[in-house]
Formats: sequence, structure tokens, C-alpha cells
Amino acid sequence: MTENVSAAKAVAAPPVKKGGAGLNIAIVVSAVVAIIGIVLWAMQLSGGMVQTAMRNLDSWGLYITGFMFFVGLSAGGLIISSVPKAFGIQGFGGISKVAVMTSIAATVAAIGLVVVDLGQPFRVWELFVYSNLGSPLMWDIIVLGTYLILSCVYLWAQVQAEKGKVSHVALRVISVVALVCAVMVHSVTAWIFGLQQSHEMWYTALLAPWFVSSALVCGTGLVMATVIALRAAGYLKLDQAYLVKLAKLLAVFLLVDLYFFGCDLLTEAFPAGSDLAVVDMLVSGPLAPFFWVEVIGCIVAAVICLVPGLRTNPLLVVASLLAIAAIFCKRVQLLVGGFQVPNIDMAWVNNPMAITGAENGVLQAYQGMVYWPTPLEFGVTLGVVALGFLVFFLGLKFLPLKPQDQE
Amino acid sequence: MTRYGMAIDLNRCIGCHTCSVACKMANNLPKNMWWNRVMTNDGYTIDSARTAWPQGMLEFTPVACQHCENPACVKVCPVGATYKDPDTGIVRQDADKCIGCRMCMSACPYNGVRSFNWEEPAAYYDFAVGDSDAPEHQKHTVEKCTFCYQRTSQGEEPACMHLCPERARYWGDLDDPESAVSRAIEGRSYQLLLEEMGTKPSVYYLV
Repeated sequence: MTENVSAAKAVAAPPVKKGGAGLNIAIVVSAVVAIIGIVLWAMQLSGGMVQTAMRNLDSWGLYITGFMFFVGLSAGGLIISSVPKAFGIQGFGGISKVAVMTSIAATVAAIGLVVVDLGQPFRVWELFVYSNLGSPLMWDIIVLGTYLILSCVYLWAQVQAEKGKVSHVALRVISVVALVCAVMVHSVTAWIFGLQQSHEMWYTALLAPWFVSSALVCGTGLVMATVIALRAAGYLKLDQAYLVKLAKLLAVFLLVDLYFFGCDLLTEAFPAGSDLAVVDMLVSGPLAPFFWVEVIGCIVAAVICLVPGLRTNPLLVVASLLAIAAIFCKRVQLLVGGFQVPNIDMAWVNNPMAITGAENGVLQAYQGMVYWPTPLEFGVTLGVVALGFLVFFLGLKFLPLKPQDQE
Repeated sequence: MTRYGMAIDLNRCIGCHTCSVACKMANNLPKNMWWNRVMTNDGYTIDSARTAWPQGMLEFTPVACQHCENPACVKVCPVGATYKDPDTGIVRQDADKCIGCRMCMSACPYNGVRSFNWEEPAAYYDFAVGDSDAPEHQKHTVEKCTFCYQRTSQGEEPACMHLCPERARYWGDLDDPESAVSRAIEGRSYQLLLEEMGTKPSVYYLV
């Protein structure tokens, strides 16, 4: 993208091109689903969160899983477009603006998922009045808010730069700031979990770098799937060489992520102490389906990206979707796994508010997955995801996101 | 400095759950809410043994908020709704401030000590029970044992030890060597729950 831009070459404001009928339908559908989600959220608030499957001992669920996941998804776009600019290297052929738009949409979905998780969303203002700056959750709110604003500024600056109104140097400075912020947002999200000594599975220094690598995997996957789809839809043209470059990058990120996973599993398993329970739970216990989908999905995706003969468009789409699915499975393992091993393994009075499925006895409740979402949670989550899609589709329709020379 | 704490003599505890009920009554706890639970150490369910008859042994551990000196919950609360009372060392919870993010529940190592009102708090009767100034219960906020703040701030003892038929609980200022709790701990071997978590609990289990 950078190679297309020249500050000297002032270009007249490109005419805003409306998308086809397909885009309009997509906007309407995602708006309707988002509204249904808001109605379900209102039901959750009025009827009580007892309608979710979350309970005292598994106090977070699908919403926070989705939050982790979407924070990760937001990474790819911003990093892919800012790294080439920040370091002055060759970019990815004009997909920079579309990539940042995916970041903005994913960040909106991530923030939405935290909001629907709150029991008292109308007290959100307290976060800014009574801020406890020592809380990792507070750090995340600050960094995530900054990240969203910065993504918007960054997108605006790119559009302005193409018109010659923002200098290259300024754009490069914004790129560096955006890159630092992107790394921070994943680290801080990891620290919400990784600084809790009460969950053996989460309490590791590896968690922050690991969140960055996982974010790069699914973020790159998202950008790759998006640009292939947009190219197929005729929204933009992109040379296959750039896709190959993205695929190679994705392969590297996948291997790094698997490497981190291996390091973590070995560290937990080797002493054969209490951490072994975490490994058992992942490899052969209740979370095994998610573990194996992640591991096999990552390997298959990496093979597709690394073997030149396999880098066909359909297979690249498969690889990127596998990468995204694998990281979602990773998030499920982390969240549910964190609650799956109780610190106090004693029986107490059966209590439907203490743990999902406590009716059958406390120990029984830990036999399968300790948490599985209710239809209401799926519905609300779908609504928030639709909101993210809506933001993205509106961006496609109303913002000049096409590569400059294709306007 | 006052630092309120409690000692529970596990050799005396008979697992009668009276303290749980006393707590529930005094604090007007809603349905399905337990701040203080008597756990059966090796049971499949309460009051059962996992070992086969006749070797079965019944042992109990009453667990409520440990009012840690280094509380994990206080650190993570983004709005300071859970805080350590500087005058008493009691970890308190401000229901009017809680935004219901449940970060404290996740951070607390003592599973299930913190409870969330997953629905509108439902009373058992048409009228409130327990202390006249019992804490209010709000939907979608976190709550937990307050060491009966409404009582202890008036110089009284918490409800849980008040009715204990075995007199297994001792209460007082851990910083005062003459207090009942300090004298109970003195010379006895004790355990702290999940001491390895580094939270420095203020509840001592005498063994």
C-alpha cells in the first residue's frame, strides 16, 4: 500500500462508491440480527443472568470467551497495515485500509461482549469516576478504548495521506503508536487472566506473549479470508503474490503459537504435580475436542500455507478459517479450563447458584465441561458479532477503503 | 491497628451447619445464597465419606470469606467496590458500587466464597429476617461474608460463632495478644486455607 502513496501526488477525493445489492442485504441482515441481540440482552437484564449458564464457580462464560477472541481478531488488521509503514518495508498491496476496518469492527464486537457480560451495565460510568488503576480490567478498558480511537484515527490518516493532506512522516508516527498499542492490548487482555494466582492454568508469564501470537494467527487469518472474499466479490483487485506473502506470515504465526502451546504443556506436565490435571483435562478430559481441533487445525493450516502447491485460493480460505477456528478453540480451553479445576475439592450443599449442574452433586458437575452456554447466551453473542459485521459492512459501503489506484 | 480474624477448631466442628444457617438468617440472605458453607472434606456430597465403609471418616471445613491481609479480590476490582476496611482489616463489598463484572469471583482462590445475585434476590418470607441493619442484597451484584459488619462494628461477635453448639469458633483482634482469637491460636498448630496462594488469610483452622 505504501508504494502506492505519494505525498506529492495529491489525488482528488475519490467518489464514494456504493457497494452492490449484496452489500445492502448484508447490512440489513446484520442490523436485524444485532437488534435481535439487543432485545435478548434486555431479556437477560430484566429476567436475570440466571438465564445464562454462568454460576458462582464458573463466573465467566461465552461472553468473555468471545471478548478474548475478538480482541485477538482485531490484531491482524492493525498489525498487518502498520508494520510495513512503521518499518518502511513493502506492504501487502493496498489492503491496508480494509485490514484496519476489520480491526475496528472486531474491537467494537470485543467491547460489546464485555458490556453484555456486566451485571450492572448502567454503572459503567463508575469505571471513569472510581477507577482503580491497579486492576488489570481497568488497564484493559483504558487500552482497548485507546486502541479503538487509534484505529479510527489511523484509518482517517491513511485516507488523508492518500489525498496528500497528511505527511508520510505523520502517518509513520501514527503507525508506530498503533503498533505499540496493538501489542499492549493483547498483553493487557492476557493479564486479566494471567495475573490471577487462583487459576493454575492462567497463572503463567507466557500468557501475554502467547496472546499476542494467538492474536496474530487469527487476525492474519481474518485479513486473508476477508481480502479473498472481497476480491471474489469484485470489491478490490489484489495480486496473488501478496496473498502468498500473507500465507507465509500466517504459517510463521501458527508455528510460533504451537511452539508456545508446547512449552506451556511441557512446563505443566513435566513436574507431574497438580498442574498435570490441566494437561489431562486438555488432552483427554472434557476439553479434548477443543484441544485437538486447535492443534490439528493449526498444523493443517500451516501445511497449506507452507507447501507452494497447496496455496490455491479455496485452500487458503480453508487455512485462514481453520486458523480462526483454532484460536476460538484456544479461547474456550482457556476460559472453561480455568474454572474446570477447583482449588477446593470438597463437597458442600447442592446449590443451583454455585455451579452449573450442581443439582446432580458438586463432583458430578465437574465430570463434563463445567460450563456450556445457554441459547440466550448464544443469541446475545450472535447479536454482538452481527454488530461487528454491521460496522464492517457500513465501512465498506461508505468509506473509501479500496486500494487507491483502484478507486 | 485492629485486624479482625477468626479461628475455627476443626477438631470441634461436627458439621451441623448451624453456622451456615445462623449466617443466612442474620444477614437476611436471599434464596440459594450461602456466605458460609460447611464443606465435607472427602465427600461425594455433604455429610458423606468417599472411603468405603467401615473406614469412612467424616471431617468438615467451614469456609467463608477469609478476609485476607493480601486480598486478590480487592486488587482486581476496577471500581473499588470491594475494599479492605482500614480500621478493622475486614474485606468489604459495596453493593451500590459493584458493576457486576465478576472479576473478584474469578480472582478469589477460595472457590464459591463470593456469590453473585444471578437473579432478583428472593426472600423466603414476606418480611425480612435477621438483624435490623442487615446488608441489602441487589440483583446482579457480588456479595459475600462481611464478618457480620453490622454486628462487629457495634462490638458484637459474628452470627456464625454465636450459635455454634461446639464453640468451635473464636473471634477477635489478631493484633491483640489478649483477644479470644489470639489466645485460641496460641500454642496450637493451625492451617491456613490455600496458604500457597499468598493471600494471608485472617481465618485460622486449628488442627
